[in-house]
Amino acid sequence: MKRVIVITSGKGGVGKTTCTANLGMALAQLGKSVAVVDADFGLRNLDLLLGLENRIVYTVVDVVAGDCRLDQALVKDKRQPQLVLLAAAQNRTKDAVNPEQMGNLVREVAESYDYVLVDCPAGIEMGFQNAIAGANEAIVVTTPEIAAVRDADRVIGLLEANDVRSLRLVVNRLRAGMVQEDQMMSVEDVKEILAIPLVGVVPDDEKVIVSTNRGEPLVLSTDVSLAGIAFQNIAQRLEGEDIPFLDLSAAHDDIFSRIRRMFRNKNDQRR
Amino acid sequence: MTSDSFVSASVSHLSPPEDGGSHSDLQIRFKSEANRLLLLMPPDGDGDANVNTWDELWSQLKQRLAGGERFWQPETSVHLIARDRLLDARQLQSIADILGSVQLRLKRVYTSRRQTAIAAVTQGYSVEQDPPVAHLNQSANDVNQPLADPLYIQTTVRSGMEIRHPGTIVVLGDVNPGGTIVADGDVIIWGRLKGIAQAGASGNQRCLIMALRMEPTQIRIANLVARAPENPPSEYYPEVAYAMAEGIRITKASAFKIPYGTGA
Ligand SMILES: Nc1ncnc2c1ncn2[C@@H]1O[C@H](COP(=O)(O)OP(=O)(O)OP(=O)(O)O)[C@@H](O)[C@H]1O
Ligand SMILES: [Mg+2]
Repeated sequence: MKRVIVITSGKGGVGKTTCTANLGMALAQLGKSVAVVDADFGLRNLDLLLGLENRIVYTVVDVVAGDCRLDQALVKDKRQPQLVLLAAAQNRTKDAVNPEQMGNLVREVAESYDYVLVDCPAGIEMGFQNAIAGANEAIVVTTPEIAAVRDADRVIGLLEANDVRSLRLVVNRLRAGMVQEDQMMSVEDVKEILAIPLVGVVPDDEKVIVSTNRGEPLVLSTDVSLAGIAFQNIAQRLEGEDIPFLDLSAAHDDIFSRIRRMFRNKNDQRR
Repeated sequence: MTSDSFVSASVSHLSPPEDGGSHSDLQIRFKSEANRLLLLMPPDGDGDANVNTWDELWSQLKQRLAGGERFWQPETSVHLIARDRLLDARQLQSIADILGSVQLRLKRVYTSRRQTAIAAVTQGYSVEQDPPVAHLNQSANDVNQPLADPLYIQTTVRSGMEIRHPGTIVVLGDVNPGGTIVADGDVIIWGRLKGIAQAGASGNQRCLIMALRMEPTQIRIANLVARAPENPPSEYYPEVAYAMAEGIRITKASAFKIPYGTGA
């Protein structure tokens, strides 16, 4: 079965679009044919992150309305011909398409690609229903914050209720230093609540923001970054490879934080 | 939590449940009877704003089936008690299909609505059409109704999910923050209770809440409410929450004795 993966989170701004762009590109680099679909109608920006904005002529809405053929709306990436983008309409609202149409469209795209990644809008309304229609897997993105994790939990419940059963977790924007100082939830804390398999941990990294502004996914950059490697690792794990998780704490692990950690472990046996 | 620990300052009283618990908050449920399974739909309530929509019923049904998966005997006949709920052919088919997916067979439909009866007959089920009055009479205004059989459900109760049952609820799994359990009987969580649990929801103060790990957002017994203490305890044990005159108390399961000594 072709893999249709919706990238979702519940809460806004946690990195869904960043993940979609980077995973799409990383999977294409592994030799897979990939279509990324922007389901965030009215607030599209997957095209920006991929640097493809100026090449979009037709959108999802045009295909659904029959104003163009599907292949006309699929924009090929100039750097990575294995990757195509199907853009969301900018000027139309989410009501322009219903879940049934979206599901059919996504399944049609899936016929010609190894992977379809659907970038889901924030929230759990119609836009969410549209984005998950046709998906047989989901990547749930969260940051290590209580509100984001709560919303992710809600979304997992909704995915299960809608028969999307193969769910994986990405913890984005982790700051190992803050975790060590007990100022941020750890990956373990997040996993304990969400109880779905972890597929990746992406550190908070300024380079993500730079790459966003440039319209060039991190995984394309020649300049290696931890976040870029994290995305490549996720792509390989999706391909079934057993890749160990990055030790994100290494960079921050000076002698003081080690001592503090030892001290804390002695005093704090509750976890 | 350490010993009998809930901060009693955080205990307050709820207003008594409206009209002894109205029917509108009932959810779909199963009841076994002889060698068949009854699938009971909550009554429609005639355009009441609070009633379950089809979408809600549908997700409740899926939840119940998924949560009890291990217990369905293959090829059991199911009798659908649809009461005054309107079901069209497609909805009946969906119900039959999802029951079929766990090898339960929809055989008979009880309804007080002519349209539902016709839809069911057309689909080839035996139908019994009852006069609507019979169902109105068995409404929940009768406060002394016996409790329903316990609901056993194996699932993670996630944020936004609410499980209600007019009897005891047993959850094999965690109740996450934002998840809610409301039982007319006891609440037993074989897992971590981090969300909200209410026992004795229709007013019985002798009902209990038990969890392997009590870290609730809030617990309620009948009309009493308690919050978790601000500072999490250093160690967790299985615990039992029960109501006393002065409020809800929590104690280690190993030290718990039924306080009133009645019943048992
Ligand atoms: N690992 C990271 N390190 C640093 N910044 C990040 C990281 N991931 C995402 N960001 C930044 O966070 C912001 C939001 O990211 P993104 O647009 O991918 O989120 P989203 O979940 O798609 O948001 P929305 O809900 O609005 O669609 C962007 O400015 C992005 O550059
Ligand atoms: Mg986005």
